[in-house]
Amino acid sequence: MENVKGTANANATIKSWVELHSNQLYTWAYYKTSDKEAAEDLVQETFLAAYHSFQKFEGKSEPKTWLLSILKNKIADHFRKAYRNNANNTVSFSQFFDSNENWLTDQIPQQWKEDDEQHLLDNYDFNKILMQCLEKLPANWKASIVLKFIEEKNSNEICQELEIAPTNYWQMLHRAKLQLRKCIELNWFEK
Amino acid sequence: MKKLMNYLMLSCKKAATLIDKKAEVKLSWRENMQLTMHKSMCDACTAYEKQSKFIDKALYHHIHTMTEDVNTIIENKELQTKIISKV
Repeated sequence: MENVKGTANANATIKSWVELHSNQLYTWAYYKTSDKEAAEDLVQETFLAAYHSFQKFEGKSEPKTWLLSILKNKIADHFRKAYRNNANNTVSFSQFFDSNENWLTDQIPQQWKEDDEQHLLDNYDFNKILMQCLEKLPANWKASIVLKFIEEKNSNEICQELEIAPTNYWQMLHRAKLQLRKCIELNWFEK
Repeated sequence: MKKLMNYLMLSCKKAATLIDKKAEVKLSWRENMQLTMHKSMCDACTAYEKQSKFIDKALYHHIHTMTEDVNTIIENKELQTKIISKV
């Protein structure tokens, strides 16, 4: 009897959480993955996981905080999979440097006019450009970047997790950053 | 002298690589030396380092920005109904 009551309680609570928080969670997942279907799946999995481990939720944190932490793990899983499925993407350096290993003329980093760094970090339009630039990277590069920041792990741990040699890992980050840098310069600073 | 110069000189491509390597792993004494030398003579790579660090900061900030900071919450009624029907 107690169990039945408990289940009914879990049902009602989770349903109210869905109504209260699903839009925010979905927005967040969409913001991170830029993929409507993936975001929907992740949010759905989050609520199902919350439902199944409802007993573990002791009300110590806000429900939203708890749901977000589940969602964050789901998003990390999503990018781990994306990394594995696209592990062979490479882009050559020839688009950045000439045969003498100097910057190509149109690739030379220009001075950026940053009036206020913090202001830029909180700027919605700048973040939109950053997201679009991130989107243009090969899927495995994007995955390795997002994992690095979302999981706040050091390089060694991420290398172990992705089964990749440290040298390959930082070289991949380097290429990703070369490309991101150019994209941000073109779409934000030179506009 | 020429030998010493060769030992210390880096191309821009290698310097840029070391800049991003440095963010992940510890550089050797020689690599540090080469990079410092190169940057002291090269504005482009100095700018690259500054921008690479800024990109790290911006990505960290972007990825950790919580829902509250997202200007527009996307309504997804269908998803809501779908999840409710499953629990």
